[in-house]
Amino acid sequence: MSATRSPSPRPGAGWSSPVLTPGSGSSTPRTGLFPTTPSDPWVAAKAKSDEVRGYPSFSTRNNGFFSRSKRQITATLPRFSAASSPNGYGEKDAFLQGRRGRGWRSLWFGRTVLRRRRTRFFFVLTLVLFGYFFLWTWLVESFRRSRFGGGRKFVIILGSNIEGGVMEWKGAREWAIERNSVSNKQEYAQRWGYELEIVNMLAKKRYSHEWREGWEKVDLLRETMRKYPNAEWFWWLDLNTFIMEPSYSLQNHLFSRLGEIVYRDINEYNPLNITHPPIELYLDEVSRSATGDNDPSSIHFLLSQDCGGFNLGSFFVHRSLWTERLFDIWWDPLMYEQRHMQWEHKEQDAFEYLYSSQPWIRTGVAFLPQRYINSFPPGACGDEIDPRVHYTEGGRDFLVNMAGCDFGRDCWDELYQYREYSAWLNRGLWARIQDSFLDLYDSILG
Amino acid sequence: MQFAVPPRKGPVAPPSTRSSSLTFQRRKQLKTITTLSIALFTLFLLLSQLFYSSTETAAAARGTPGLVIVTVLDHTLYGDHYLQKIIKNREHYAQRHGYTNFFANLSDYDSYIGYAPRSWGIVPVLRHAMAKHPSSTYFFHLDAHALFMDPSKTLDAHLLNKHRLEALMRRDVPIVPPDSIIKTFSHLRSDDIDLMITTDAEDLSTGSFVLRQGDFARFFLDTWFDPLYRSYNFAKAETHTLEHVVQWHPTALARLALIPQRVINAYSKDSPSAGVDGTYKDGDLVIRFFGCDTDPERNCERELDPYYSLWAKKLKFE
Repeated sequence: MSATRSPSPRPGAGWSSPVLTPGSGSSTPRTGLFPTTPSDPWVAAKAKSDEVRGYPSFSTRNNGFFSRSKRQITATLPRFSAASSPNGYGEKDAFLQGRRGRGWRSLWFGRTVLRRRRTRFFFVLTLVLFGYFFLWTWLVESFRRSRFGGGRKFVIILGSNIEGGVMEWKGAREWAIERNSVSNKQEYAQRWGYELEIVNMLAKKRYSHEWREGWEKVDLLRETMRKYPNAEWFWWLDLNTFIMEPSYSLQNHLFSRLGEIVYRDINEYNPLNITHPPIELYLDEVSRSATGDNDPSSIHFLLSQDCGGFNLGSFFVHRSLWTERLFDIWWDPLMYEQRHMQWEHKEQDAFEYLYSSQPWIRTGVAFLPQRYINSFPPGACGDEIDPRVHYTEGGRDFLVNMAGCDFGRDCWDELYQYREYSAWLNRGLWARIQDSFLDLYDSILG
Repeated sequence: MQFAVPPRKGPVAPPSTRSSSLTFQRRKQLKTITTLSIALFTLFLLLSQLFYSSTETAAAARGTPGLVIVTVLDHTLYGDHYLQKIIKNREHYAQRHGYTNFFANLSDYDSYIGYAPRSWGIVPVLRHAMAKHPSSTYFFHLDAHALFMDPSKTLDAHLLNKHRLEALMRRDVPIVPPDSIIKTFSHLRSDDIDLMITTDAEDLSTGSFVLRQGDFARFFLDTWFDPLYRSYNFAKAETHTLEHVVQWHPTALARLALIPQRVINAYSKDSPSAGVDGTYKDGDLVIRFFGCDTDPERNCERELDPYYSLWAKKLKFE
């Protein structure tokens, strides 16, 4: 068969390689014009065993399924450039001859080989392209999802179906918001190998007023932590959020550089005017320091502040004893009894209270500048545009949170616009080329 | 298909050379496979180590206590003569076993307590003791109106030792006497424990307990001292708050061991509400004159004096 080639494991070790050591696996092509010498099989065996000595890894004789199929597998791989010889392993002699008398013959060989190589090259190119277009994403995504990809360390929790079923009927717009928001996170989680947990915030009697209104968040977080015992970071997202830049991974965008981007001293941006650091002299050094121990590994709660204080529309919690304790203390019947009339934003206000009253909490909390994880659209947080708070075009902010859009703004309208803008920002190469041509066309004619 | 090596039925290749090369090859293969698998295994171990992150905080080794005895002294209510006896008793005990004493003056903490009862002082005092002695492991809070009666007992052998504690822990009993629904966990091991405390007939005893320094202690003390608890007007201030915390917050209960009262908290015979087998007997480590400071009929100094002289006499004999 003419499809044989040297089983050289070294890519690019072609026949033209001038430094031919015995067993380098190179072979010189031969054609039918030169019949194989009777000693061919022996030479072949010797070459083979030489090869084995040179590359002992997996070139076993066909004595196992793997080795047998390995030949077939390698046959499809683009390691081709190694020159071929239709007649097997007579090449050693031929090569030596070729070296001795370099003349018309080598030229002739060259041409056949070139033609052969070209067809093979195109064949391989199509294979590679096919693989790239149809398998590459799948491969990358499944690697990220695997144990070593690091994607499993993150779980996105999306609160959906708020007050569903009891307070009001969902209209077409509400359904559209939910559908878009969910698919946005699904695509993102799929892309980076994260887990996505869509939790149902259906109104339940358990959480109704005078008992613990609005405190599902903590319970749902705890349930999710139980469900994914291997995950480390849990990212809570409200439904009215949209990931604008799906190409940012959480690792690159945040967690690989936590130490540089977070601030632990709340005085850096302190809309609530919390006294920080605690001044009580009985506290230990770390609790009294403005930045805690300043070690990124002690961060267990990562959130951002908007103009009104803490914002729990998009935040991260780390699985740890610290977090368990926080979740445990977050809702307390006595505190709730005394404060639930003032805590308008329920668990968010309770967390602010705990942060300001219990020093151990401060040492585990870090803040991100808002636009890293929680940009607001214009209209939220007052009418003016604050570059610390609001999404600005061209800023390529990671996520936009349409906070408060149910109060006097149009949630679906905002979501739709951001979705379109995100798609435009992240459009493919072809669309970019088209756009630039259109621009050129416009500038010439217009 | 042409194989790299001629097939078995090939014309040449004498069987003898072939078989020898086969074994040689086989050996080589085996060698490679073993090295490869070892390499893969190490890589796997390394990676899993790398990606594994522990959620547990490093805890100090048990049984090697740098122990601090924490005492809150109220110089405004009690004369120096009386307080000196308490100090002397504790200093002797600490010196004998290499422990440290932390005497706090309650009025230094008044500004932190605010309008709440002054008995709340023990919480910031404990936090302060921990801040002052960051390398010590155990903090034994003992109410001022108490004496060490058997100075030969070390706290390590008497309570903190792993096996001793394992034996002392009272499992699956109501956390608040006599019959609270919440009971101590039955599955806890001595390694889980950060707080060793007793109950008398009515309440958890805040007058005598051992707390281990660490993340839990900070969480526990800060939670206990929360302003909303202090302003809640519990009848028994910090005692009732403690009972509230351990009953409502399992993360606190999961670190708590209930131990028999007489181990660190034997009540004198005049004290009310001693638990079952909670009254002082000769040979107990500690005697407490519980309630002598709140009951106007009683006088702490007068109750303490006979036991103090007993202790002093014992010292002389040794």
